Amino acid sequence: MSASAAPLVQHAEAERRNSISIVLKDIVQEYPAPGGGATRVVGGIDLALERPGINMLLGPSGCGKSTILHMMGGVRPIGVKTPTSGSVLIDGEPCDGAHDDSVMVFQRYANRPDLSVFENVAFPFRLKLWRQRLPEGEWRDRVTQILAAVGLADKKDLRPAQLSGGQNQRVALARALVLRPRILLMDEPFGALDAQTREEMQHLLVKLYNDRPCLVVFVTHDVTEALMLGDRVIVLSAQPARIADDFVIGEPRPRSGTWQRSSEAVKLEERILNQLHKVSPGKGSLRVTV
Amino acid sequence: MADFWNPYAALSPGQRKALGIGAVAALLLLWAGLAASGWVSSNRLPAPWDVAAALSYLTWHEGESLLATATLWSLGRLVVAGVLVVAIGIPIGIAMGAAPRINAALSPLLDPFRSAPVVALLPILVMWLGIGEAMKIAFLFIGAVVYLIPMVRDAIRAVPQSYWIGARDLGATPWECVRKAVLPMAMPRIADALIVAVSVMWTYITVAEYVNAKVGLGQLIQNARRFSAWDQVFAGIIVIIALALATYQLMLFAKRKLYPWETHQ
Repeated sequence: MSASAAPLVQHAEAERRNSISIVLKDIVQEYPAPGGGATRVVGGIDLALERPGINMLLGPSGCGKSTILHMMGGVRPIGVKTPTSGSVLIDGEPCDGAHDDSVMVFQRYANRPDLSVFENVAFPFRLKLWRQRLPEGEWRDRVTQILAAVGLADKKDLRPAQLSGGQNQRVALARALVLRPRILLMDEPFGALDAQTREEMQHLLVKLYNDRPCLVVFVTHDVTEALMLGDRVIVLSAQPARIADDFVIGEPRPRSGTWQRSSEAVKLEERILNQLHKVSPGKGSLRVTV
Repeated sequence: MADFWNPYAALSPGQRKALGIGAVAALLLLWAGLAASGWVSSNRLPAPWDVAAALSYLTWHEGESLLATATLWSLGRLVVAGVLVVAIGIPIGIAMGAAPRINAALSPLLDPFRSAPVVALLPILVMWLGIGEAMKIAFLFIGAVVYLIPMVRDAIRAVPQSYWIGARDLGATPWECVRKAVLPMAMPRIADALIVAVSVMWTYITVAEYVNAKVGLGQLIQNARRFSAWDQVFAGIIVIIALALATYQLMLFAKRKLYPWETHQ
């Protein structure tokens, strides 16, 4: 590659990242119920996410928000038709199976206990798809870079059992970001962490996002988390999930504790809780970190 | 003694060893006592020293070792059957664990054999394969593989789904998910299955060598029984138990070296 071509390529890549969209059209999801019949988990959702940004899907636990995230990622955990009706469009193209525009990060980080931190982050390059796309030298550089970015450069030879929960979640995040995805789907990624570690991870996410913005869909049942991270907050009602509220937060990140206690933030928090009580009183649970 | 009825109490290694050796010593003493007192005739229970003498006779007598020859033959049959069990049983178990359709089709064919009397198959194997080595190896193979396959299947299915979903999301093909995400996580339990299968083969070796064996540990015991040489029967049984125990410990050691990361929840 000549020296003058590099900025052009970078520009093209940035362009590609900026023209990204996920559109949900009248999504309904039903799962077979144990006693016959069907349970409706998602009850008709229309949603358009059309530019890079952090989008928070906030809803009570068990409301079907993970199901929506799986649909966006094209992953079908139990072999049921997903969605039951409606359509998911990625960049205007119908998405009806696994695709490589998105990468997911889960609460259970699924790090391999038999592999080192480095090998865990490099796991995608054991797969044909990614091995064909990047020469070994390049992906090794990328892994080293992302390990430094998440602060695990000195831990690269350790095994997951030797790491804390927060460090393990950093490994999972690094494994997702090493692929430089246009869409990052996060399923309550920090839900199992203690309050202090969760806050550290939120700051890390903001830093990594600023380095390389993409379209983030972040599922949480933590109202505070939604307010601290989101460019946009989409509030879902309890099962079957419907959109109860949808608003934009203009406050720049990282958002301070002072902002968290400001009248703007407190009003938004009340608005979310009121909406949910109106739509689905007494169902599911939300968390507010104090 | 406050810790006596406490399933979670930790014993020191010294304590555990002392209790184990003590129990074996107590049994030997009881045995020696019974034999020396003359309450039980030596035709029914040979004395420990007679068994020891028989063991030494079998180990080395007139320039040859009956025991070494017998052990090598039995071990050889076991190894051949073991290789077949690994080469055929493990892939079938993995396929059943990884594909519910294959499992649904094969499990009605395989599962009944776990509770069926495998020994009853011996005459059928003799009819099909004759009385040579093929029959003996086939018998050991069947006896072990019906345990191994379901255990391998369960090992695959015990791997948390998150590994499969994670790999799928990263763009792995379904087979890559099994091969590169699920299978490596199932390996310690597959190794456990193999250890059980080998133990099962040791218990079947005498039966396998029941029909027309010219040499082998099972044959050695048969032969001694025919001449009512009970001291040699006991010696043979002790040798089989010792070999089974040694293989078990060896395989367990190898497994821990290979998969040091295995966690027990």
